[in-house]
Amino acid sequence: MYDLSTVLETDAVKAIGPGTSVLIAGPAMTGKEQLALDILADGSRDGEGAVIVTTNDQAETVIDDYRSRVGTDEFALAVVDCRNEGAGDPKTQSLDGQFVHHVSSPADLTGIGIGITKALQRLHGGGAERGRMALISLSTMLTYTDRETVFKFCHVLSSRLDAAGYLGVFTIDSGAHDEQTLQVLKQAFDGLIEIRETEGERQVRVRGLTDTPTAWAVL
Amino acid sequence: MANRGVEEMSEDSAPVVLIVEDEPDVAETYNLWLADSYEVRLAEDGDEGLELLDDDVDVVLLDRMMPGLSGDEVLERIREGEYDCRVAMVTAVEPDFDIMEMGFDAYLNKPIRSDELHETVESLLERSAYDDLLQDYYSLIEKQATLETTKSNAELAENEEFVRLEEQIQRLRDELAGTFGGVEDDEEFIATLRDLNDGGDLT
Repeated sequence: MYDLSTVLETDAVKAIGPGTSVLIAGPAMTGKEQLALDILADGSRDGEGAVIVTTNDQAETVIDDYRSRVGTDEFALAVVDCRNEGAGDPKTQSLDGQFVHHVSSPADLTGIGIGITKALQRLHGGGAERGRMALISLSTMLTYTDRETVFKFCHVLSSRLDAAGYLGVFTIDSGAHDEQTLQVLKQAFDGLIEIRETEGERQVRVRGLTDTPTAWAVL
Repeated sequence: MANRGVEEMSEDSAPVVLIVEDEPDVAETYNLWLADSYEVRLAEDGDEGLELLDDDVDVVLLDRMMPGLSGDEVLERIREGEYDCRVAMVTAVEPDFDIMEMGFDAYLNKPIRSDELHETVESLLERSAYDDLLQDYYSLIEKQATLETTKSNAELAENEEFVRLEEQIQRLRDELAGTFGGVEDDEEFIATLRDLNDGGDLT
């Protein structure tokens, strides 16, 4: 079981089964990505593997940020960098001791899949029996690829994480897409963490992981 | 999408396997093994293989080392042509390359045994069935989302179509996870994603 309650103070996330994939949705600048990365860093402090699929930030930045987030150098991270640039040969490299795989574009789903596969193999080979994966962000992927394909991608990736016993977190900017898109995409996941901001206060609610949704609570 | 499903169901014919192999004895052996279960087409080289390829072909068994067009070149043309078929590459030696990056869906080392060949063709056909199921699943999810965004919760609970839809979705979800073992190994995972890339429209 994965316990996220040190990051998110609610019993709904105290015991999440291996293979669960969760969508984190909220407007821009509400800390979705921070939450996703904090969830991974918490696992890294317990010796779990971490995979970050990034569509926005370059691998170097991701690794630097992750190091300070975890607080030590003792972590096993693999980054799949799918920005539209910087992908040359070699596709796979080691950066500050961490595994990095470059993909030519967020539209290259096969390439992302290959990167994730190699990342999982690497972390497993390094002795990490469990782990967490974050994909940041689906909103960027949706600017390259239609909703149908992104939905199927999420479903297939969730199945793969399920088989690997990983926990998956995926972020989406709820203000950047229509309601239908959000409604469809959330069906590819087991649970939904919603973030909102009211009167300068960030609030969070968890749905799908327990029988009834949690109430909005301060993050 | 619904039309395609109906077509497939009304089609009672066996799946089509295209064998592209320059050694006649080897090709004939494969043919003997497969002919009972599938409609088999035989091509002696890459050019003939591409001639015999159409949308009816489900699986291509492609020899990598052939005079004329090589297996890799044929594979490239198949992918460019956006055919809805699965490709198993047949190699004489254990591949020393990164098989994930190569663009085929499975590979077999010569000499191939009968049971091995059957297993590979079956698993490639199952993967196509998984894709069809995923397509049906998506269509239902879209319908469900449309109802959810246009009706209130109270209306939905009383809406027979919605209730039926939810049941169908649950059934398909279980089937996707169970019937084909989900997406368990790396090869299946990559091949399924490759199909999404080939089929998806870039916006």
